[in-house]
Amino acid sequence: MNELNQLAVTDEMMLDEREQIIDQLMREYSNDILHLVYTYVKNRTIAEDLAQEIFIKCYKKLNQFNQQSTIKTWLYRIASNHCKDYLKSWHYRKITLNNKIFDHIPSKSKQVEEEVIKHSEENSLTNAVMNLPLKYREVVFLHYYEELSLKEISKITSVNINTLKTRLKRAKELLKDKMIEEV
Amino acid sequence: MNDPFKNMKNSMEKSIFKDFSFSNERKNAVREAIRTNQSQFHTETIIAILESVQHESKDGYNISVQLFQKNVRAFSKNEGQLYTLLHLLENKEMLTSNWINNKKYYSLNSKGKKYLATYKQDTTKQGLSLNPFITEASL
Repeated sequence: MNELNQLAVTDEMMLDEREQIIDQLMREYSNDILHLVYTYVKNRTIAEDLAQEIFIKCYKKLNQFNQQSTIKTWLYRIASNHCKDYLKSWHYRKITLNNKIFDHIPSKSKQVEEEVIKHSEENSLTNAVMNLPLKYREVVFLHYYEELSLKEISKITSVNINTLKTRLKRAKELLKDKMIEEV
Repeated sequence: MNDPFKNMKNSMEKSIFKDFSFSNERKNAVREAIRTNQSQFHTETIIAILESVQHESKDGYNISVQLFQKNVRAFSKNEGQLYTLLHLLENKEMLTSNWINNKKYYSLNSKGKKYLATYKQDTTKQGLSLNPFITEASL
């Protein structure tokens, strides 16, 4: 019985502690996570919804965090997986993609704002990166925006470091081709 | 050869991520979700369930009626949660079940009886040891 009580006490404390940990994670990383999610889903509202779900998921899985990586890496890993799950989901494939197709029908006038953003000089780089295929976009974003090391990215995405290097190199080539095309 | 991604962060901050941050409303929504998660099941609720099937086996509906009579209101707006908890208690081998006429009847088994007995003996300590179940059940 003593053992059980011991367990119960730590568990009891954990509840409060867990909430604090999530609070702290949100304070430090919520914008980074939100931006990361956006690069996967390219929609602000969906990105906000998913980021919210990610923090709740972290809370639920916090007892499974096994100190083998930093909590930041762990959080990013959950985020990345959550986004990939979403992109595979029925909702995304049927509903969101359908809406996207409507967006691309030329008769529908695009929002002026969007046009302006597209044409400004500053954003051609952003657009080029956002239009890279996911596996390149992911590593580029984590490395250059979130400023994570390849070792950390490898832990987050479960992709071998050498593969990541190749992808970065390939991403640079793709980007150059695109920029030349635009000019 | 300079790095084409060198200015990417700056460029993104000024474009797609401009005025785009995780708002306080969103943070509060996360906290809210966490809180409702925490407070779903109380020890008293679990004990009340165990007590309700102490002497005879009952189906979910009759358990809920009895809980209502005992003024346990934890499931009054979401009855479905009762079944989640019953299922969990069954998995933890606190309860056993039988199917009779398409209804699942729950009854206390030896482990559940032991818990109930020790809880009544020593309310303060034993109450705590149920917490692992409560936490697990609410997630």
